[in-house]
Amino acid sequence: MGDSQYSFSLTTFSPSGKLVQIEHALTAVGSGQTSLGIKASNGVVIATEKKLPSILVDEASVQKIQTLTPNIGVVYSGMGPDSRVLVRKSRKQAEQYYRLYKEPIPVTQLVRETATVMQEFTQSGGVRPFGVSLLVAGYDDKGPQLYQVDPSGSYFSWKASAMGKNVSNAKSFLEKRYTEEMELDDAVHTAILTLKEGFEGQISGKNIEIGVIGNDRIFKVLSPSEVEDYLQEAE
Amino acid sequence: MSRFEESAPAKGGFSFDLCKRNEMLVQKGLKPSSYLKTGTTIVGLVFQDGVILGADTRATEGPIVADKNCEKIHYMAPNIYCCGAGTAADTEAVTDMVSSQLKLHRFHTGRESRVVTALTLLKSHLFSYQGHVSAALVLGGVDVTGPHLHTIYPHGSTDTLPFATMGSGSLAAMAIFESKYREGLTRDEGVKLVAEAISSGIFNDLGSGSNVDVCVITKGKREYLRNYMLPNPRTYVSQKGYSFSKKTEVLMTKITPLRELVEVIEGGDAMEE
Repeated sequence: MGDSQYSFSLTTFSPSGKLVQIEHALTAVGSGQTSLGIKASNGVVIATEKKLPSILVDEASVQKIQTLTPNIGVVYSGMGPDSRVLVRKSRKQAEQYYRLYKEPIPVTQLVRETATVMQEFTQSGGVRPFGVSLLVAGYDDKGPQLYQVDPSGSYFSWKASAMGKNVSNAKSFLEKRYTEEMELDDAVHTAILTLKEGFEGQISGKNIEIGVIGNDRIFKVLSPSEVEDYLQEAE
Repeated sequence: MSRFEESAPAKGGFSFDLCKRNEMLVQKGLKPSSYLKTGTTIVGLVFQDGVILGADTRATEGPIVADKNCEKIHYMAPNIYCCGAGTAADTEAVTDMVSSQLKLHRFHTGRESRVVTALTLLKSHLFSYQGHVSAALVLGGVDVTGPHLHTIYPHGSTDTLPFATMGSGSLAAMAIFESKYREGLTRDEGVKLVAEAISSGIFNDLGSGSNVDVCVITKGKREYLRNYMLPNPRTYVSQKGYSFSKKTEVLMTKITPLRELVEVIEGGDAMEE
């Protein structure tokens, strides 16, 4: 990558001081499927729409929410293939951290390292920024945590957040509904209601995905039948 | 993507750059640093429901026992364990590294690790180091294809066997296995046989000793029986304990500070940067 003739960055400043490529990346994220996360007092929930391009697609084979470590999970909005690269890199970084320090990686550290990777792609030669924003949910010694990482490499800790299409409606819904004392089950119901707000068509266990992590510190993606149970409770 | 990756050898494999320098140093009289070897007895056998691994717990540094109760059965995956003989640092590092690679592989595939995966990762690593990584391993586990037991030699060759022994006590342990092993052993019979084989190594080989560790791996479950048998307890421990009488009387205690104490005044002028 270093010595080739194309080792100049493709992301350069515009006269107004903006990095236009990053703005475009954020637009790509903004047109992706809605995803959101809520931090409860005893855990974190992340959820996303799983709208497939056709009814012929085998929905059981698609999994948008991924596990990075046993106690950290991630969901994205934007370009799926880009998120796969980031998930792979993050898993490796978490494992390398464990090899070196024999300690499971703290959530903030993993978020920081993933954000560093995303930033490198805005400054290295011949590459473009990632077209995804990630919502990282984890539970470590500092308790439950929820982080958002943007294509620019900036990361923020949120109590509740949404990304993708319909983000402003979803965020105002969350602002109204969020309370600090919320427990994990309430958070899951709130997440479902928020997704329902902007959902086109009939919501079911097959076209949304929910991932939770509780006091047991094990990140789990709920099965479609478990999602159906929560959907019925939320009705 | 970062520039730091350029410093690694571009073509992969072992870099022999320093070999000439090392040879020259040895010729000039440099003695290579000594390392901790595990003169060892490690065994494994396949029984009707899975695999049982066993190991002694003595780590030696030449003629000295460096660790009386070290752990030689290493975790590779929830369903795969590996006993290590040879240089302690090498067995630890190589099993740790492959365990890490297996974990990443499990994340990517979403499946339980297979014993042959661990086997191939270990043997290709050892082969690329041409025997310099002195690790002789007994690898055992149960996966979707059934129970497996393998031995791996430092140069990278492997065997697949129903019962196996490695280490300096391997002959003593193999004698027990060859006479008493049969197919279709139950769990208790298998554990008893493994403990017997390790005990044979402990008592008849100078490089092995102390206690017996056993690990039973079956489909979906593993039991790590640390210190399953303690055939070498410290029999005599003095009741009187140890006390060291005071030989010198203290006549007077006087403390003289070497420096005047500095008083800290809060809210003074801030230091100029």
